[in-house]
Amino acid sequence: MGFGTQQADRIMTAQQQDLSKSDSVDRGPLSLRLLAGGSEPDPRFTLANERTFLAWIRTALALLAGGIAVEAFTLDVFTPVVRTTLSVALLLMAMLISGSACLRWLKVERALRNKAPLPLPLLVPLLSIGGALVTLTLISVLLLRQVH
Amino acid sequence: MTRRRPDVPPLQAPHDDAGLQPERTSLAWGRTLLVLWVMACVFLRWMQSEGWLGALLVVLSVFAALYIWMTQRRRYRRSAHAIHTGRLRADVASVLFTGVVVACLAAVSLWAVLGRL
Repeated sequence: MGFGTQQADRIMTAQQQDLSKSDSVDRGPLSLRLLAGGSEPDPRFTLANERTFLAWIRTALALLAGGIAVEAFTLDVFTPVVRTTLSVALLLMAMLISGSACLRWLKVERALRNKAPLPLPLLVPLLSIGGALVTLTLISVLLLRQVH
Repeated sequence: MTRRRPDVPPLQAPHDDAGLQPERTSLAWGRTLLVLWVMACVFLRWMQSEGWLGALLVVLSVFAALYIWMTQRRRYRRSAHAIHTGRLRADVASVLFTGVVVACLAAVSLWAVLGRL
């Protein structure tokens, strides 16, 4: 009996320590406002979420570089209309992807805090459809040039 | 066999995560930093035809790259410490800053391309 209560006491103190630890996490005002509610997830999940965000950002930067390269360095390859269309499409994709990468990071972080299922990535269909359209445009331009 | 002076303590990793998550995250930021430098060079080349808009793009990307560079050490130390304690404050400021800067770079480039029409 005495042993049981002692054990229960020990469990209680462990829980209290856990609670006081979660209370003492230093959180900035931005994090408090945007990531309210829930409990701190495993740090490794937060770091993985950050890396996924960075991978999307680098994808956006690559699209941005592609858009600039098409506009600036293909003066004698494409006609002005094709050049501008391609570069505008690439730049639009870069903008959409970097914006929604931020939103997705926030959504995933909130889901992790609330132990909810992760949201579906809307970015994936966006990127694949955009990439397919740009490639189709390139193929049709090159084929038309062969015909003429 | 390793030779080590007895008075020097052995080097120790600041955390015990076998998945090396702090290192991987820090390297991911480093790759982003590198891509931002490359973008700054591309924009530098574009400055010849775009003028001050190109200069604005160069300054923006160099600024973002410098911000990541300055915060790299602090970021690694913080995440290693978090693996140790089991609690990490999500780096909202850095993530939002990087996302917004890249979106701005794309928007300004779009403005420059469309403005030429």
